[in-house]
Amino acid sequence: MTLISELFALLIFPGFVFLFVAALTFEWIDRRVIARLQGRVGPAWYQPLADFIKLMAKEDVLPSGANKVAAAALPMVALAAVMTAGLYVPVAGRAASYFEGDLIVVLFLLSLPSLAYFLAGWISVGVYSVIGGNRSLLQYFSYEVPFLMALTGPAIFSGTWSITDIVLRQSQTTWTLFVQPLGFLLALVGLIGKLKRDPLDIPKAKSEVIAGPLTEFSGRKLALWHLTMDMQTVVGIFLLVNTFLGGYSFGAALPSVFVFAIKALLVLLALSAASVLYARLRIDQLANLGWRILVPLALVQIAFVIWAGG
Amino acid sequence: MNNDAILQSFRDAFPDLDLEITSLPVDEHVIALPADRVHAAVAILVEQFGIYHLSTITGQDRDENLELFYHFWQGHGLTLRTSLPYDAPVIPTVTDLIPGATFYEREVCEMLDVTFEGHANLEPLFLPDNWEGGAPLRKDFVVPPVEGGLDVDKEAAA
Amino acid sequence: MTKVTIPIGPQHPLLKEPLSFLVTVEGERVVDSKMRLGYVHRGIERLCQQRTYVQNVHLMERVCGICSHVHTTTYCQGVEALLGLEVPERGLYLRTLLCELERIHSHLLWLGVLAKNMGFDTIFMYAWRYREIALDIMESLSGGRVSHAVNIIGGVRIDMDAAQVEAVLGQLDELDTHITTLLGVIEHEKTFRVRTQNVGLLSPEQVRRYCVVGPVARASDVDVDLRRDAPYSIYDRLDFKVITHADGDVWARTVVRLLECVESTKLCRQILASLPDGPTSTRAPRKVPAGEVVSRSEAPRGEVIYYIRSNGKDKPARVKVRTPTLPSLLALYDQLRDVNVADISVVLSGVDLCIACADR
Repeated sequence: MTLISELFALLIFPGFVFLFVAALTFEWIDRRVIARLQGRVGPAWYQPLADFIKLMAKEDVLPSGANKVAAAALPMVALAAVMTAGLYVPVAGRAASYFEGDLIVVLFLLSLPSLAYFLAGWISVGVYSVIGGNRSLLQYFSYEVPFLMALTGPAIFSGTWSITDIVLRQSQTTWTLFVQPLGFLLALVGLIGKLKRDPLDIPKAKSEVIAGPLTEFSGRKLALWHLTMDMQTVVGIFLLVNTFLGGYSFGAALPSVFVFAIKALLVLLALSAASVLYARLRIDQLANLGWRILVPLALVQIAFVIWAGG
Repeated sequence: MNNDAILQSFRDAFPDLDLEITSLPVDEHVIALPADRVHAAVAILVEQFGIYHLSTITGQDRDENLELFYHFWQGHGLTLRTSLPYDAPVIPTVTDLIPGATFYEREVCEMLDVTFEGHANLEPLFLPDNWEGGAPLRKDFVVPPVEGGLDVDKEAAA
Repeated sequence: MTKVTIPIGPQHPLLKEPLSFLVTVEGERVVDSKMRLGYVHRGIERLCQQRTYVQNVHLMERVCGICSHVHTTTYCQGVEALLGLEVPERGLYLRTLLCELERIHSHLLWLGVLAKNMGFDTIFMYAWRYREIALDIMESLSGGRVSHAVNIIGGVRIDMDAAQVEAVLGQLDELDTHITTLLGVIEHEKTFRVRTQNVGLLSPEQVRRYCVVGPVARASDVDVDLRRDAPYSIYDRLDFKVITHADGDVWARTVVRLLECVESTKLCRQILASLPDGPTSTRAPRKVPAGEVVSRSEAPRGEVIYYIRSNGKDKPARVKVRTPTLPSLLALYDQLRDVNVADISVVLSGVDLCIACADR
């Protein structure tokens, strides 16, 4: 690839600009769908963008005991991690870069925002932030293990650790979803936990810990945090579409971008519906769910994959 | 709730008192007692008659003395009326018999400056921690002036 | 583990009104709690002594926003007893109709608040949407959605014609279907049950000890309802069930309150079906003869008691108000012992706090 096309892929599509636009668009669709399911109207299309711009312009206040350097660095680290992960996740078959093993790198990069989130609570000094940070770490241990285990399924099934190659293999054989439906469900639940969406928004439960680790953040830092969360949603959904739903492949000759977009929107719809249908779990109920139900199911799924493949 | 039986028990318990039962609207009966017998009377109500529901404790300033009402309810209302002199507004607490009286006694204490002996915690319930103005429901209470504020009593009289 | 003190309030997304709770937490378990009331104390009892009886009706309306009508009802009932006034039948029926509508709106409001504090925004949105029907009915009758200003000493100031009665009956049917839907949801939705069952337990002995009233008491199997046991207004002519539940947790309170809504719609229908003709109020004299009265009624949250003393002038000598949230607050200490941090919001919401009522 020439320098121009590489720069284009890095910066525009499927790089940073595309991720930014997709993040805001997905947030809008999510909020609109949730509103409609709850009998409300929902925000207009420019609302996420307006929120972002407004937050960038607001005053930045931190409590006196908080570590200023860390508070400024953490959202940037989280955003950088998510954007870098997004580079390796192909959009409609095209990734900015790929190599054997990039699935592992993407999973690692996607876990960095969770750790940054916890640290953000820790350095913020306030009671709510610390409690939220503790909860986010507890939650991390409950969903991350089944999530990772579920995502090794497609890799074993396709015989490769590169996401682009996983998509290629699925276009030649069949979608991983049909072979590992349980794995897909586990990955969805794990994604809900990772994104801290309802019903697993325990670390930032508004009625209990105000806003969790982000309680004391404001202005630009908070804008970056929100952008990180939105981009994490996009990258997570794209990851699931690529590993389980066959990426751009459909069988019939439809434009790949169209197919990919439809699949991504269907996954987003599933996430929004899950937000609406359930009450928030308690952290001990989540730990219970994670370790007593999800992990054994994930083990069953992996055992089945290994047995069927071998 | 059998008012005659209760009156009889009180008469048996306090033979030196001349107890009468009067009735008030709406469906309420009142027995007047001196302050030092109230605790024993409440004990009779709770232990002998199983009347546990204390609706509230009302206090008021009657110009000559302070008056307390203990409003009970079980099917019908029964009120125990007692009065306390200004110079010794002290009465034993009933929270050992009815823990639900905790907040009511605290309120009467802060509003009328009545001391309930034996109450675990007579801190102000509704008034601010740094309240210096005195007991608001006493007749001699004057609203403390607030910088740039409104004189409520003058406004009301106007 | 170190103990951390979480300040819940006076401003907190959980609380609709200011109340300070200092909860000491060790890990995720509550170890101690300290409550401070009085943030909305307006000194209403003293203000009553400086206003005439008629002005006090307006003052009593503002003791609480959600249960304003029941406060004015109890007050007017007391003053009418002092005056020896006989309120016309039609006035009493309309007064009771609004009491029951207020009960429905208050319980639906509470359900939304509980669901929101539990993280279940959907039920919050739906419950408040159905509450709009009750508010629409009250607005069509009185002109105000929440603050009706319907009671006057001697009756009510509103009247209904046949067309209004028809319209209200239709809206009551709509409310019925919606409340049944909500009942179905809380019955079957597993996450709701999991968050509310065995949380905030109160045994019948604790209820008696702290003199708790209202749906909180009825959810712990204490069968007391002033509408049946000490009937005021026209309740002795109406036929309704008193709902109790044996569990004593927040789940039981939800069921009790929703079933009470169903009973309230039945009561509204009975009232509308047997609405007598005649005037809705009588003329009340300005000066009230000397005397004392104790007036009670059943607010959505429980027993409201008023003690009013008159010394022959046109201003009362003493008005004492005790609202049902106050004993429930006392029972909170027991409920918050050894509870999960996440359950604090459910427990506090389950009690149906109305701090403006409690503080006056």
